[in-house]
Amino acid sequence: MTNRRNFLTGAGAITTAVAAASVSRVAMAALPEPVLQTKPDTMDPLVPNTGRPYNPVVTLNGWTLPWRMNNGVKEFHLVAEPVVREMAPGFKAHLWGYNGQSPGPTIEVVEGDRVRIFVTNKLPEHTSVHWHGQRLPNGMDGVSGLNQPAIPSGKTFVYEFVARRPGTFMYHPHADEMTQMAMGMMGFWITHPKAKHPLIDEVNRDFVFLLNAYDIDPGAYTPKIMTMLDFNLWSWNSRVFPGIDPLVVRKNDKVRIRIGNLTMTNHPIHLHGHEFLVTGTDGGPTPKSTRWYEVTTDVAVGQMRQIEFLADEEGDWAFHCHKSHHTMNAMGHEVPTMIGVDHRKVARDITNVIPDYMVMGERGMADMAEMEMPLPDNTAPMMTGTGPFGSVEMGGMFSVVKVRKDQKAGDYKDPGWYKHRPGEVAYEWTGALPNPARFAAEGGKSMPVQNMPAKEVEVQVRKPMGNMKH
Amino acid sequence: MKSFFKLGAVAMATFVLAGCASVNFDQTLADTSSSVGTFTGGKLELSRTKQQTQARNKLTADLLAQPLGMNEAVQLSLANSPSLQALLAQSWAEMAQAEQSGRLANPVFTFERMRFVDELEIGRLLSFGLLDLLTLPRRQAIAQGQVAQAKIQLSASVVEQVTQVRQAWVRAVATQQTLQYAQQVNAAAQAGAELARRMQQAGNFNKLQRAKEQNFYAEAAAQLAAAQHASTAAREELVRQLGLTDAQVEQLKLPERLPDLPKTPIQASVLTASAKEQRLDVQLAKHQLDVAGKSQGLNLLTSLLDVELGIRRDTVFDNGAGTSAVRKGYELDVRLPIFDWGTSQRAAMNAQSLAAANRYESTVRGASSQLRESYSAYRTAYDVARHYRDEIVPLRKTMGEETMLRYNGMLIGVFELLADTREQISSVSAAINAYQQFWLADAALAASVTGKPTSAGAMSVSSAATAGAEGGH
Ligand SMILES: [Cu+2]
Repeated sequence: MTNRRNFLTGAGAITTAVAAASVSRVAMAALPEPVLQTKPDTMDPLVPNTGRPYNPVVTLNGWTLPWRMNNGVKEFHLVAEPVVREMAPGFKAHLWGYNGQSPGPTIEVVEGDRVRIFVTNKLPEHTSVHWHGQRLPNGMDGVSGLNQPAIPSGKTFVYEFVARRPGTFMYHPHADEMTQMAMGMMGFWITHPKAKHPLIDEVNRDFVFLLNAYDIDPGAYTPKIMTMLDFNLWSWNSRVFPGIDPLVVRKNDKVRIRIGNLTMTNHPIHLHGHEFLVTGTDGGPTPKSTRWYEVTTDVAVGQMRQIEFLADEEGDWAFHCHKSHHTMNAMGHEVPTMIGVDHRKVARDITNVIPDYMVMGERGMADMAEMEMPLPDNTAPMMTGTGPFGSVEMGGMFSVVKVRKDQKAGDYKDPGWYKHRPGEVAYEWTGALPNPARFAAEGGKSMPVQNMPAKEVEVQVRKPMGNMKH
Repeated sequence: MKSFFKLGAVAMATFVLAGCASVNFDQTLADTSSSVGTFTGGKLELSRTKQQTQARNKLTADLLAQPLGMNEAVQLSLANSPSLQALLAQSWAEMAQAEQSGRLANPVFTFERMRFVDELEIGRLLSFGLLDLLTLPRRQAIAQGQVAQAKIQLSASVVEQVTQVRQAWVRAVATQQTLQYAQQVNAAAQAGAELARRMQQAGNFNKLQRAKEQNFYAEAAAQLAAAQHASTAAREELVRQLGLTDAQVEQLKLPERLPDLPKTPIQASVLTASAKEQRLDVQLAKHQLDVAGKSQGLNLLTSLLDVELGIRRDTVFDNGAGTSAVRKGYELDVRLPIFDWGTSQRAAMNAQSLAAANRYESTVRGASSQLRESYSAYRTAYDVARHYRDEIVPLRKTMGEETMLRYNGMLIGVFELLADTREQISSVSAAINAYQQFWLADAALAASVTGKPTSAGAMSVSSAATAGAEGGH
């Protein structure tokens, strides 16, 4: 499932790593072999065969970093390097990541493990790694300049600490942080409890992913690192829908999803068909008394949320950020609203000058999903993904939780579209349409308008046209 | 009587001798036409007969039946332009004039009838300038030189005329092409304005946004009007060059676009090798110098010394005696150079020779320089036009295509798409301008090579109109 490659062979393939040549073979000899990942797919959980046992997580469109045991210490090797990440089929980004992908591999350890992480810097500039949320010696916290000198290009530094508290964590650079995070330097960290924990339930499926955002001009490859808020790609583990894998579970599985937010805005993450409990934050498991059911939880900037639910409703359930712009791919934020503007004659005039012109937006943005017109190179369409009933008209931070009763335990393979039972799909009403009775209190007068415009503003309500499908 | 006719015969012979070189203008035109064949295609003709006129009319009709190319425009002007015909006729007149100076002045015949009492005397005097006769060969040579000059002048006029036709054609086609694009810009702007109006109506645009789009349209309309007039003016200039009648103007059709650039530009080396000596201005200056040399002293001589020789035959009828007697003899008049020994005349002659010599030298020296300048104008125009064709227009096209793709992805809106289209069109207009500059320079270079420098319409390769209309809203 993972490509174990000799470090030096792997280095040869990564030509952008300017520092590669300066990492000496001798220096590398004592290190654990770095494992590189070449595919953006969701890898099966890495069941531990050394060290303390635990229930592994599944990283959405990602993987877990293998380790080696060295005199009772868990040794990992992270290689910070430029990578090409496929963010959606046909759309690749030039990012910085770890071990061949961005985000980097998930690191899974068990409470009480002594962990030694070798970090080799093959970026063109210095870096460092901050172990977000961990209790550790101050000099291991990874803030360059404050806790340690930055790791220069071509050098390997070693971090060593005990994973003291169980929970959901992240890692990311704390050196030229703005650039390196905007370029995709981040990864997940799970510390599993070493014994049964009163606040940490055993689950059947445990998914993890990071929320991240990029600003890549359509047709370009490299994120604009100066962007602060106006990102155009909202991703889960640097994948955008329909490039994000579904979360496949068996009916009545207890499911945990851990979400970390390394974007610059909050994301209300919303699950359909089930209620969930927020069972953990960056601070660890939440006290039971603080838990209540909800269907949306806001994950603020720099935060982690761990949600749990019983997948007892079969079907294909949407799971997404509820900021609707975040379920879009690159789009123009300055595009004027065209709704309700009759284009007919004008469209012909424009076509005379611009032969390829087609009217869009007159009825809404769904045109975009329907038309499938050629786009600039290396651009993920704004609203795509086709379900069994047509276009899903989504992009970005969107996926599907697939609950199936016949899914095998531990099987994460996509079972295909849900087959609805008869009578359980919304259908067209073909009977008569009586006018709704108006009620007397329509346009209530409890707070009358004080300054009425001299002339009544007429609100023009668009009547649906025949070809409106949605 | 006998000797009178003998003398008369000598005079007549001389006269005929002098007159036999009477200008054969058709031949002259043929010569001119072949000497500037690249300009006329050998089709120069002064139309004097009905057949000639008919043939010209037919050619004109044929040429007007199709879109008129650059060479066809030249043919048409040669066949149809009254001003060209006027030019030819005028030139004929000048040559005849020049020729005249190489002939003997007509002999003067004086007839006297006098009666004295019974005597009737009838005197006949046939006289002619002796100096005229003596200097005849020299004057003939001068006259020939002058005729040759007139021929060169004719060639130069033809070259100038043809060049003007070519350039007028280039301007007419280019402005017509530019007009088409101005119409497109206008159409795009109009569509934008109309769309903006509807956007405001639907509540999606505010007043400012709509005003901006409306403003593009207003400006485009002004530009269209200017382009329309420019096109009309250039076309009318061509009409004048072609000498079209109102009816012919109706028929005039121009090709839609300027010809493509030649695959390779004319190389500078080709020009300099032969050009200098062939140039008309150099030839003309040389002839002027020759004539000045030949006439040196001659005019002085004839003006100071005028010798008239007359042959006299008087018959005296004596009615009283009933006899008649004949008196024969000759008269010789000589002007005496007492008051004017010709010093100022001589000075003038010397000065003229000197001026001619210096003019020649200056022409020769200037010729190379002019040639280099024309070539530079030509070559620069070629390179710029090619740059537009190979770089700027394709880049603009790429930008247009990419903009279209961005519109497809709803990354930009239709107004940005329209703004880009306007810019794309103005780049194409600038490219047309570059082509126009090239063809003007091409015509100017051809004229310059023959030695009739014409301004290329000044290299004004403006990077027109890429005015970065901020495409955004
Ligand atoms: Cu979001």
